[in-house]
Amino acid sequence: MSDAGVHPQPAATPPGRHRAPGISIAGFVLKNALRNGRRALLTILSVAISCALLVTLMTLQRELTVPPESESASFRIIARNKVSLAQPLPARQITTIEKLPGVRQVSPFTYFGGLFRDETVTSWAQFAVDPARFRELILEGKILEGTYEAWVRDRNSCLMGADTMRRYGLKVGDSLRFRGTFYPVDLQLTIAAVYAGTVDDRNCFFHHALLDQLMDDWGMVGTWYLIADSADAVDGVLERVNAAFENTSAEVRAETERAFQLGFISMIGNVKLLFGSISAVVVFTLILVCVSTMSMAIRERFRELAVLKALGFRRRELFAFILAESFGLSMLGAVVGIGGAWLFWSSINLQKLTQGFLVYFEVTPRIMATGGIVAALLGILAALGPSVSVARTSVVAGLKTLD
Amino acid sequence: MALPLKYNYRNVLIRWRTTLFTVAGVAAVVSVVILLKALAKGIESSSARTGEPGNLLVVRKGSQAESGSLVTRDQFRTLQFFEEIDRNAAGQPVVSAELVMIINAPRRGGAGSANTLIRGVTPRGLELRPKVRLVEGRWFNPGQREVTVSRKLADRFEGFEVGGVLKAGPDRLKVVGQFEAGGSAFDSEAWMDADEARAIFDRSEMYSSILLRPRDEAAMRSLTNRIAQDKRLGLRVEPETDYYAQQTATAVPFNILAGLLGTAMSVGAVFAAMNTMYANVASRTREIGTLRVLGYSRGAVVVCFLIEGVILSGLGGLVGCGLSLGVYTYVVARGVTFGTMDFQSFAETVYQFRVTPDLMLLGLAFSMVIGLVGSLLPALRASRLPVISALKSL
Repeated sequence: MSDAGVHPQPAATPPGRHRAPGISIAGFVLKNALRNGRRALLTILSVAISCALLVTLMTLQRELTVPPESESASFRIIARNKVSLAQPLPARQITTIEKLPGVRQVSPFTYFGGLFRDETVTSWAQFAVDPARFRELILEGKILEGTYEAWVRDRNSCLMGADTMRRYGLKVGDSLRFRGTFYPVDLQLTIAAVYAGTVDDRNCFFHHALLDQLMDDWGMVGTWYLIADSADAVDGVLERVNAAFENTSAEVRAETERAFQLGFISMIGNVKLLFGSISAVVVFTLILVCVSTMSMAIRERFRELAVLKALGFRRRELFAFILAESFGLSMLGAVVGIGGAWLFWSSINLQKLTQGFLVYFEVTPRIMATGGIVAALLGILAALGPSVSVARTSVVAGLKTLD
Repeated sequence: MALPLKYNYRNVLIRWRTTLFTVAGVAAVVSVVILLKALAKGIESSSARTGEPGNLLVVRKGSQAESGSLVTRDQFRTLQFFEEIDRNAAGQPVVSAELVMIINAPRRGGAGSANTLIRGVTPRGLELRPKVRLVEGRWFNPGQREVTVSRKLADRFEGFEVGGVLKAGPDRLKVVGQFEAGGSAFDSEAWMDADEARAIFDRSEMYSSILLRPRDEAAMRSLTNRIAQDKRLGLRVEPETDYYAQQTATAVPFNILAGLLGTAMSVGAVFAAMNTMYANVASRTREIGTLRVLGYSRGAVVVCFLIEGVILSGLGGLVGCGLSLGVYTYVVARGVTFGTMDFQSFAETVYQFRVTPDLMLLGLAFSMVIGLVGSLLPALRASRLPVISALKSL
């Protein structure tokens, strides 16, 4: 299959001088790409859908595995019973903890997990805390309505997150009812104040004293929530808290808020592996679609490419035509898909739709760039197969092709 | 008059290259859907396999799950002598007050830690669950800090082998045996003596739930009414099987994911199939013209191309089923189990992922729908080609 016989002077006649007046190389590629409009559209759409899916999967994985960052999360500490989170701690521990050096403030922090009104799932959390101590623990929180003092004064009131207020159309002074699931008691709370500005503006905080009263002074708390004097003091505080209750009936495990969140996530199971493998399959399908479309497009004009070859265009140039077309189509698909996904996810209120399961769902620039790179590689990969077969076929064989 | 099927079948084979790509694409979509559904199915079937038809489970009114329920010793004392409850050969009432607790244990291979469910049971509790079989070692002795764990759990957690030690805060529990629970929810549990559990977990006056067996159907009805109507008790009673059948919330995210991915990926696959079929129609213009001249109606041409699309994607569906069956066989052969956190008990549930015949049928049907939708427009186009110019085309 030597080209020498059919290309009398391949190098001596640059294709640029052969081209018909009025058609540039770019115009030629563009015309070719769009001459079968339906196919171009279908290709772009299928690449777009796959890219959108890929971006969505990556965002979902990020949402599930990376807890939202908060500056003070690194020097806030959660101390739970070493047995497990479900095992309470004795309330008397507070006198020991607050005396430990490096501890700025500590509050009980008990997950109530009640059902709001007639709901059947706990769609946002309620925590019992000590309001007077808790103030120093939600540093980022700003009071939007009502006053913090009003909440501190009224034992039957609560501090509500702004997101939940919006979601249910609540206002200060409204009365809320919660049915206990973990605790055999129900709560009746009045909204005293609204906060916003923390990483999670959904929660409801109420007086631990109220829970104690309802539970007949049970003398227990769910966990301890601490804040250290400074970021440097954190490691020391962790050690001291753990050591203080060693060999007691309620041993404690203290960790930073961030480590606690990551530990909680790791309990869900291997989310990364699941999403990683699904993404791999999506990318694989994407490659199949593009490769098959490109080879269809090329096979259709095998004869033309043979003609171009006969005219003196070299393999390199033919490869460039094919590459430009395939790259262009897949990048166009990527722009539509990734842009579409970004627009879609940033315009709908997912937090409301998933009842607070997904909060941020931010399509980050990094994720979009990854999607773009995948699409670019795809465009290049899809051009390889057809180019090889074009290069391999002799002009005579190419001209004979009917299909 | 319809075209012979052989015509379609040979057409699909002769264009093996495009066929291969389309088939692989559809296969990928189908296997993703089947495998995700298989995860959900595993959780659902573990719930469905749990519980004996004749048993009743009693929990606190208002609690969503056993782990959040509290039953006092007083309530148990009242309930235990209800005459509707069956008695065993030794004349003891078949009723078991149990404690469900969670301990945090390290996973094998240093992959962090997770919560495990510990159940404090009584000897009657074992009688009430005949499907749970001891496979190694022995059962825990009452009054001892011993635990018999599920074999599936032992594969996942450090120190759960016979002779190993579980840490519950300052307390140590010795693993003395392993059991198998036939793929039920008990496969995610470790069992110990109920009284010891109450001591370790500071629940001197509390249990989580009561499991019991009424004498017969009539006793079951009267006991259910009696407990439900006794406002002072504040307890909820339901058949054990019903209770577990409802504990499938963990499967929901997998079902949602399968639905979402299935939809999005199948739209992509429809576009790909459409592309292939349009190209097929375009390259066979003359052939179609010939068929029309021979007397085949437009309808026959439409049906012909639809059938071809369905064969094409159906092949993909078959390959997808084969792939997922392969993954399933591998998983079963290697004894791999899956685990995820149950948000109701906050403990890890271990389950087997199950590719069942109905899931494969679903996948196959799904692939055929993709083929049908993808080839509809190209088929219509083929039927509308003007006969004369079609004949003239190259």
